[in-house]
Amino acid sequence: MTEGGMISVYEDRPEGRMTHVQIDGRGQVTAFNGHVDLGTGIQTALAQIVAEELGCTLEAVTVVLGDTGRTPNQGPTIASETIQVAAVPLRKAAAQLGQFLAGEGARRLNAPLAEVETREGRALWQQTEVAFGDLVAGHNLAMRLDPDMPVKDPAGYRIVGRPVGRVDLPAKVTGQFDYIQDIRVPGMVHGHVIRPPYAGRDSGPFIGTSLLGWDEAAIATRPGFLAVVREGDFLAVVAETAHQARTLAEALPVHWRQPPPGPDLSDLRHALKAAPSMPRVLERSGDVEAALAGADHRAARSYVWPYHLHGSIGPSCAVADWNGGAPVVWSGTQNPHMLQGDLAQLVGLEPDRIEVRRHQAAGCYGRNCADDVAGDALLLARALGRPVRVQLTRAQEHLWEPRGAAQLMEVSGGLKAGHLHAYTLDTWYPSNRGPNLALLLTGRISPEPRSADMGDRTAIPPYRIAHKRITVHDMAPLVRAAWMRGVSALPNTFAHESFVDEMAAEAGEDPVAFRLKHLDDPRTRDLVIKTAEEAGWQARSGPRLRREGRMAYGQGFAFATYVHGTFPGTAAASSAWVCDVAVDTRTGEITLTRVFVGQDQGLVINPDGVRQQIHGNVIQTASRTLLEEVTVDAITPAPQSWGSYPIQSFDTLPEIRSMLIARPGDPALGVGESAAVPAAAAIANAIFDATGVRLREAPFTPERMRAGLAELGGAPPLPAPDAGQKPRRRRWAAWAGGIAGALTLGAVALPMARALPPQAAPSAASFAAPLLERGRQVFATGDCAVCHTAQDGSPNAGGRPMKTPFGTVFTTNLTPDPETGLGNWSFAAFDRAMRRGISRDGHNLYPAFPYTAFAKMDGEDMYALYAYLQTLAPVRAAVPRARMVAPLNLRPVNAAWNLLYLDRAPLVDDPARSQAWNRGRYLVEGAGHCSACHSPRSALGAEKGGAAALSGAEVDGWWAPALAGTAPALRGWDEDRLFAYLGTGHAPGLASAAGPMAPVVAGLATLPEADRRAMAVYLASLAAPDVAPAAVPTLAEVTPGPGARLFRGACASCHEPGLAGALTAAQVPLARSAAIRAPTRATLRSLLREGITAPLELPLRDMPAFGEELSDHQIDQIADFLRARYAPDLKPFPDS
Amino acid sequence: MASRQLRFVLNGRPVQGEVDPTRSLLDVLRTDFALKGPKYGCGKGQCGACSVLVGGQVARACVLRAGRVAGQEVTTLEGLAPDGRLHPVQQAFIDRQGAQCGYCLNGMVISAVALLRQDPAPDRARVEAALRDNLCRCGTHREIVASVLLASGAQADD
Repeated sequence: MTEGGMISVYEDRPEGRMTHVQIDGRGQVTAFNGHVDLGTGIQTALAQIVAEELGCTLEAVTVVLGDTGRTPNQGPTIASETIQVAAVPLRKAAAQLGQFLAGEGARRLNAPLAEVETREGRALWQQTEVAFGDLVAGHNLAMRLDPDMPVKDPAGYRIVGRPVGRVDLPAKVTGQFDYIQDIRVPGMVHGHVIRPPYAGRDSGPFIGTSLLGWDEAAIATRPGFLAVVREGDFLAVVAETAHQARTLAEALPVHWRQPPPGPDLSDLRHALKAAPSMPRVLERSGDVEAALAGADHRAARSYVWPYHLHGSIGPSCAVADWNGGAPVVWSGTQNPHMLQGDLAQLVGLEPDRIEVRRHQAAGCYGRNCADDVAGDALLLARALGRPVRVQLTRAQEHLWEPRGAAQLMEVSGGLKAGHLHAYTLDTWYPSNRGPNLALLLTGRISPEPRSADMGDRTAIPPYRIAHKRITVHDMAPLVRAAWMRGVSALPNTFAHESFVDEMAAEAGEDPVAFRLKHLDDPRTRDLVIKTAEEAGWQARSGPRLRREGRMAYGQGFAFATYVHGTFPGTAAASSAWVCDVAVDTRTGEITLTRVFVGQDQGLVINPDGVRQQIHGNVIQTASRTLLEEVTVDAITPAPQSWGSYPIQSFDTLPEIRSMLIARPGDPALGVGESAAVPAAAAIANAIFDATGVRLREAPFTPERMRAGLAELGGAPPLPAPDAGQKPRRRRWAAWAGGIAGALTLGAVALPMARALPPQAAPSAASFAAPLLERGRQVFATGDCAVCHTAQDGSPNAGGRPMKTPFGTVFTTNLTPDPETGLGNWSFAAFDRAMRRGISRDGHNLYPAFPYTAFAKMDGEDMYALYAYLQTLAPVRAAVPRARMVAPLNLRPVNAAWNLLYLDRAPLVDDPARSQAWNRGRYLVEGAGHCSACHSPRSALGAEKGGAAALSGAEVDGWWAPALAGTAPALRGWDEDRLFAYLGTGHAPGLASAAGPMAPVVAGLATLPEADRRAMAVYLASLAAPDVAPAAVPTLAEVTPGPGARLFRGACASCHEPGLAGALTAAQVPLARSAAIRAPTRATLRSLLREGITAPLELPLRDMPAFGEELSDHQIDQIADFLRARYAPDLKPFPDS
Repeated sequence: MASRQLRFVLNGRPVQGEVDPTRSLLDVLRTDFALKGPKYGCGKGQCGACSVLVGGQVARACVLRAGRVAGQEVTTLEGLAPDGRLHPVQQAFIDRQGAQCGYCLNGMVISAVALLRQDPAPDRARVEAALRDNLCRCGTHREIVASVLLASGAQADD
């Protein structure tokens, strides 16, 4: 009992005594509902209902949604039934509380009850009034809900039916709102889950049995580590912070048994029909077979709907606290009470021991990973005995969310005397309710295929047809799948409303008039007629094929009454679409230009909310129909980012108008999904009107549109860039063998260099500071650290693999460690190695070590470098042996190479040139060894000289562009731009350092400015004189295809941003990219796979790595698109 | 990477902390500074939910390493309404109901603020272009565009 008073209305339910609504002594009202707000605004709509019935202000009402400890179990928030079903007891409870308060008010005011009015939180009679709070103060009373409680006459509504702003928006718009992702609990630590390799699959004996082992010792001593938790195939790392948990999880070596290949979903029609299913006849009337046989015209069609992602913008998150065996779980679930049961099964507790506290998440539109991650968090909280938060990554959400199911619909039908006479629909829906992933991974439930019965939504066509048979084929998921907005009704309506449109065209009748001929229900007829009128429907007797140049224009109609719930189900709002499309007949691009939606939802609670739901349904479903599909191939099981799953963006929005049919006297119907249901058919019908092409498989991609037009003999499509699909041929393997043979002959008789004795190097303290500074500069000029530091290794301790055509060489340890580094090297030994490529022990170093350049360094610089290296912190790190192709693994062969290619003559200053030029040449050709990467190499691995020197080369997957000749001049390089680039890595509008060049610049940036200027002077002199910079190529129009789509989703936000000036956008336009203009795809492949992690000390920008989420084939598709669009003056990349 | 002393100005106040400079700015803002405005959405700069302003420039905090904002001014959604007085763009999003679930709202508001600084009176096409790299899954695009147009002083027509 509450101090100050509390009056409530409760109901005794199976889960216990649950309060629906209560009011306290301050007049504050709290309402409880078992459904949740999925971003559709039901929190606001429920508050309106309560305020209306109770007679208080909207501001006085707080709505608690979905917490299992406080709200009734009203099932999952699905099928748009919150207002229609779940709100019913709440509405009665509010009315009952309002009636009670009116009675109390009458007593207090000495007024006849019939004359007392309640509004704005007060009871009023004549000139007197009393506030609700005053009526409650001092009273504690709980009333049982009267199920027969009368509710208000809608004619007297003051709050319901008026536009009301979202109650949660002010907090959201200022960053104060607590989404599930924002929940922080004292003592909380962070778990990062490691999912098995069978992404998105939920049946088969490998589920829960594929984890072979992991190496905890590899991460156990790293900062923040708390635990590895495993149960079956559930595996997670827990750490102090989320960043640590993710870093450690990614570093944990894990061994999985590889799963068997997944189902082949490349041909959905075949895959769906071939999988086991159980037919369930929903309706049978007349004699369909005979009617079809006797029809004037008959047709059989099939329609295919793809897998979709729910695609919540925020990946799922949960927090769990074991709480001594009475766990509390914070979750963004759509179904708190169902989740409570799943969690109880997961940890072996009674459901009522677990409290699920529901918080809003990103919109989910169905079953996403919200429940799964709650299971993850609870398992970890139990293992750690501490509150644990788990945040899924975007890739985890994309890979594992139960997808919106694919669906196959087969329709046959016949016309007789201009009427639809016979009709059959068979629909295959491979989905269930998405069993909790933790239950599957831990083996709590068996991984057998389970089906559910949700394929029957809106399966019955709305038309009067004498002979019909409607059959749903229930089947288990092929990949993890569950309900998504318009569950099965949207695909079923795609079939019904496309087919009826085809029949209208066949009958030579207007599609709307043809439908009306078969509709009896007056309310439905009213919707169809009014929508057509208001939308400006243009009657026709067949496709009108309106053309202007290459563009075709058309208008389509479709409607549906969304029927949800267990068959035969309940009707939600009915929606009708009239939409306009524009089809580019050359590219196949379809633009939805205008959508008019008429909707009958009975009583409207919040007109703003209803219109917003219409807009959301139109835009989201247009996106699903035109753009979206989860592709499954052998390489990428599913999209892992928005890159390979593009969705609707702002720049292709249709104009949307809506008409809400006023029926305040009829019960409120759910509006969360209805306007989505006619979408696909309406768009397909508009495309037919524009082009005569019938698209029966979604999404309606430009490829499908072009194929349809080609079948009709339309305009020839533009040539498309095509990624090379041939396997990469490694030509150099054969090539290297030949070279090696040639060298071996010469090598045999050569004398070997002698070993120089080990000799402790002078102590670091013995070198003077100016000498060490000079050494540091030489070290920076040569960027020694770049090659002599392995990934994640200690600086300068070597071990970085250098891939050459002849094998892999590992760089040496430059630190003064006596055994593995330079600690026992005399200067003489160091000098010999640097100038002649001979190690202290006498063996030859491979020419991947650029001693041919270092041979040009002067003695003082060499000694300064030696001194500087001796001051590095010694690191004991043995370097792996080189792995060379035979016979280059015989080091003596290199001695022969030296004889051929090593020029030991020092550089002599050119008196005709400036001092800066000579200094620049010394730095570029000596310590800087620019030619090591920028000069092509001969068949024998030697840098080419003469005209080929510094003419650009590909090294280890990166193109090092030309520094000499016409190429740099054409690109616009001059002394100032070179100077800027060498100091910052960036020449505005021209180039940004990436790949191995970025750390090179980081070293150069620490040189005296005069040295960088000298290098710029010298490099500028290498460019051909009198060559004007070439114009930046104009962008080419490229036929839409996979490469263009991948670019749009993965790359465009930074490379062609719609909003200029972003700090994280690319600095250089792609038309300037050296990688796109390189001779092969190699550099683009490297860039896309590895991204750019530029040194933080340079004013450069980073690029995310895509190697984990895009397949090699997708990366090549992007590369080929980039080449075609941004370098149209060049030939396509050669196949490689 | 080892932590370093990182100093920057966050929502008008100088802040500092021992931070691994290679962590994303988004992670640092949400974890070390307990901010809720910038959201994790994709981690690849594709959706815009994490957007912040750095020195007045819009930035995707998920792909911006924290070390890059040393000495800079960072403004988040929280910082647009320092004294509880809403920024005109925030007010416009309430007036035009520019959100359903609202998870993308941060990016929409931040991008709109950046756009209106560049172009105080953009037309509808400009607004749509400027927001095209911000993903919304609820389909609230039209209300969002109307909100931005209202904030710019233009009369939104729907």
